Amino acid sequence: MTGLVLHDFELDEGCYKVRLLLAALHVPHLRSAVNMVPGGEQTRPPLLLLNPLGTLPILEDGAGDDTVVLRDAEAILAYLAVRYDAARRWLPDEPKAFGQVMMWMTFASRDLHAAVLARRHAMFEEIVDGAAMTSAARRAFRVMDDHMTMRRLDGDVWFVGKGPTLADLALFPSFALSRDFSIDHEAYPALRRWMRRVRSIPGFTTMPGIPDYH
Amino acid sequence: MMSEDGWYPVALADDIEPGTSTGTRLFGRELVVWRDITGHSHVWEDRCPHRGMRLSFGFVRGSSIACLYHGWQFDAGGRCRYIPAHPKLDVPASIAVERFASAERLGIIWVFSGDPSGAGTPPGGNAETMPVRSLSVNAPAISTVAALMKEASLLVEAGASGPLLMLQACGEPVYIAVQPTGAQETTLHVVVEPGSDRQKVSLWAEALRHTLEAEPTRSGVTA
Repeated sequence: MTGLVLHDFELDEGCYKVRLLLAALHVPHLRSAVNMVPGGEQTRPPLLLLNPLGTLPILEDGAGDDTVVLRDAEAILAYLAVRYDAARRWLPDEPKAFGQVMMWMTFASRDLHAAVLARRHAMFEEIVDGAAMTSAARRAFRVMDDHMTMRRLDGDVWFVGKGPTLADLALFPSFALSRDFSIDHEAYPALRRWMRRVRSIPGFTTMPGIPDYH
Repeated sequence: MMSEDGWYPVALADDIEPGTSTGTRLFGRELVVWRDITGHSHVWEDRCPHRGMRLSFGFVRGSSIACLYHGWQFDAGGRCRYIPAHPKLDVPASIAVERFASAERLGIIWVFSGDPSGAGTPPGGNAETMPVRSLSVNAPAISTVAALMKEASLLVEAGASGPLLMLQACGEPVYIAVQPTGAQETTLHVVVEPGSDRQKVSLWAEALRHTLEAEPTRSGVTA
């Protein structure tokens, strides 16, 4: 295949992060639908040859020997921002903002993984300790809510800097989908407000579980 | 509601923007708090009479709130006025959501639990305030209040039934309205006087939450 291809599963929040950025950047691309649940297609060749971890999303960009193949939502977001966002709004160059975006991207892939597993447990019967994952997700959401509470008191509306960045896109899906695994939004007023701002980003798209309107 | 009659806080007014809603709980009972586009706030049972869906999952349109499931729209009086599947139906008055007496004071939205004829007004007078934050604490309300008293000096306790405390904390007068959310959960709504250092008070509140949740459980057992 040539051009930009996202190996994608509609219900996966990691894939959704990538779809959000592609939409915001208006980057033409193909979406290759993967039967992740119930098929587990990403755990077998040929996709397993692209990503030996057997996970989604996977991004391919380019043609022939020069094709870039990347796995993991945060890495893909960073690549797309450097490659296709000439103004570097989504991944700022300025050292402090860059460091802060990377900090929240790490948080999204590490600390919010509990939320991903709690959701898969609730929706797809993935075998994990659902209660433990839900507790860990609550702790992570609290860290986010405390941060956005202080940001608001400082007059800011985004996780980093004065505009939306990859941090917002990487953090948004797990919180927006938390009702899928029985965590309501009531205890996180600063995140409710932030979530409405994320929805207002030009090009914002939804996924099942995230209503169009609010 | 299963509680002592009285006024209870359910949200910071500033956190419910016009045209938005949130779910919350009081003594475990699910409520929807929403603000119409004209700026009026409402506190209702969080339940669509159609299929029991939580209205807080729905959306505010103008001066109505609509259910996410089938779009039934309820006006500010709680009456269903429009059913999309039956657009020409004159909806019977019996299709309505239970509403509660509510009011805004000190920058906090309050709901009255009990017979509304004796509601009066929420505690706290008409002082002007600035919002700091709402804080969810994993501890029962009674032990939270007890621990709170140890952490800060009480300035005023306004009314026996009004769960409003005025404290001297980190050098600032701080109002804390206590919402008994569930049996093991409490929400503290924190506001200050204009000109106060809100960032400092917010960090104080975060540290306070840490202390409250670290309290030995025996303080909760006495509840």
